[in-house]
Amino acid sequence: MRHWLRMYGALLRMGWSTVMEYRAQIVIWMTNSLLMVTMMLVWLGISSAGPVNGYTSADFVAYFMIGWVVRNLTAVWVSWELDYRIREGKLSPMLLRPMHPIHHDIAFHWAEKGLRSVIVLPIAALVLLLTPNAPLKLDVPTLLAFTVSLFMAWAIKFMIDFSLGVLAFWLSQASAFFEVFYGLTLVLTGAIAPLAMFPEAIQQALWWSPFPYMLSFPVEIALGRITGEALTLGLGVQAAWALLCTAVAALMWRLALRSYTAVGA
Amino acid sequence: MAQIHVAHLRKYYQVHEKEPGLIGSLRAFFARKYRTVKAVDDISFDIEAGEIVGFLGPNGAGKTTTLKVLAGLLYPTSGEVRVLGFEPFKREHAYLRQFTLVMGQKQQLMWDLPPIETFLVNQAIYEIPDAEFKATLRELDELLELGPLLKKQVRKLSLGERMKCELAAALLHRPKILFLDEPTIGLDVTMQARIREFIAEYNRRHGATVLLTSHYMADVTALCERILVIDKGKLLYDGDFRALIERVAPYKIMRLQFDQPVSTEQLMQFGEVESNEGFTATLRVPRAQATEIALRLLAQLHPEDLTFEDPPVEDIIRAVFAGAVPAEVLSARATLASAAAAAPAQM
Repeated sequence: MRHWLRMYGALLRMGWSTVMEYRAQIVIWMTNSLLMVTMMLVWLGISSAGPVNGYTSADFVAYFMIGWVVRNLTAVWVSWELDYRIREGKLSPMLLRPMHPIHHDIAFHWAEKGLRSVIVLPIAALVLLLTPNAPLKLDVPTLLAFTVSLFMAWAIKFMIDFSLGVLAFWLSQASAFFEVFYGLTLVLTGAIAPLAMFPEAIQQALWWSPFPYMLSFPVEIALGRITGEALTLGLGVQAAWALLCTAVAALMWRLALRSYTAVGA
Repeated sequence: MAQIHVAHLRKYYQVHEKEPGLIGSLRAFFARKYRTVKAVDDISFDIEAGEIVGFLGPNGAGKTTTLKVLAGLLYPTSGEVRVLGFEPFKREHAYLRQFTLVMGQKQQLMWDLPPIETFLVNQAIYEIPDAEFKATLRELDELLELGPLLKKQVRKLSLGERMKCELAAALLHRPKILFLDEPTIGLDVTMQARIREFIAEYNRRHGATVLLTSHYMADVTALCERILVIDKGKLLYDGDFRALIERVAPYKIMRLQFDQPVSTEQLMQFGEVESNEGFTATLRVPRAQATEIALRLLAQLHPEDLTFEDPPVEDIIRAVFAGAVPAEVLSARATLASAAAAAPAQM
């Protein structure tokens, strides 16, 4: 345990130094998430005449502002790292150390989240303060559930992205696949519209898929739209997906390593 | 058992062949043609603790492949490989802690950060106690003069400075075995000499085993008593380096510079003339009499400058390939190896 704490301590510090080197770029990458802000404006326009499927204008502001925070704090790019390492031969030195390279990536992601929080949280807080009747549930259990679901949302995204990145072991230029995948998931995670805008049957199906658990789920917890039994069930389903994605990532890594060490490191 | 034990190691790759052009691409898409490349083809050797062994061979001979198999980065096609009693490709952490592989071309230092940051992460990963870390760092600093480099961004270091830091990063955990792949590649002569001295000193102090590949004869001459010569995946020579040189290259290259042209006839009295361009000339002189000849030549021809060089490593390899090594040298080793294999109880 002490070993892990020390290791993560050192990795996080290195991650933070690197993040500081690239702070300008990271702020520019963050504009990527401005999609949420754009969608907020679109839905504000639509809802100006009256609530849409139970969402008032204030609800849309809160949904997309919290969504913007969640999207930033769950951002992942590990597939890109893996793809790059394999193409540039940078993976071999990492395989020589008595540590799974994934810890390096996890620590770097967390360090980067530190920088994003500093920027995103005050802005979101300010916007929500200035929005009259913004629906937010701020009691301790809700905040706790939100934090847990935020972490699991990140874990699901990270492990899926890691598994996609591992494809680079077999496919050169795997990054083309990532684009297609992320285009598809944008709608299903609730980044374009809250799931409540979808037909009832599709909503029902989606809540069993991993997609809403990457974005909508934590957002709706913060809005107080998911409570009680639904919350407990949701956290359970989310945890199951997080574990499954981790298991798939671990398995793919083992297979990939086998083929990597067979054909040439 | 020897610290590094390799018996009948083979590493074959399947590479797909692609004909040029559109038709070729299409054909390759539907029916890929494969060709087997025998990167390493039945190699056996044993290395004892504390040895410094040079691994010589032209590009693509299989040197790096062998090192990667030993480091657990490549899974062997067949054969037995044991290092410190471990099977490298299982990549057990207990094994990874005990060796290092430095590849001149591939770095572990974080590009955007000062080397010390990578060092500290390695300290945590390898679980090096603070006191030991400080002592090792002090020692590496003394040997490599890292001083101010440690706090400079890696991308701002020169190639030589980076190599020094790479070596330090690779040695913080005090590995028992060093696999060095072209550790001096691209470095200037002074820096090459520094790195060489360092490797020798590290070996002396810690009794570490070193297996290194190099293109530079000087690396091998300075460091290795024993060499392995490999070509096209086959081991051609395993044995004493000096003995090999005496046999296949019993001469030195003497480079001369004059302030006035000297005739080839004059030079011929001293050795075999390789070239004579008037003011500069190159001679081959017998290794044993090199000093004596140099003194005579200095007295009679008054050259401005006189330097000795070892014959290039390529010449020696060529001589080995050409069969200049008497069969008994090779077979003696082979007999030893098979005798050792036949008597595992003693190992």
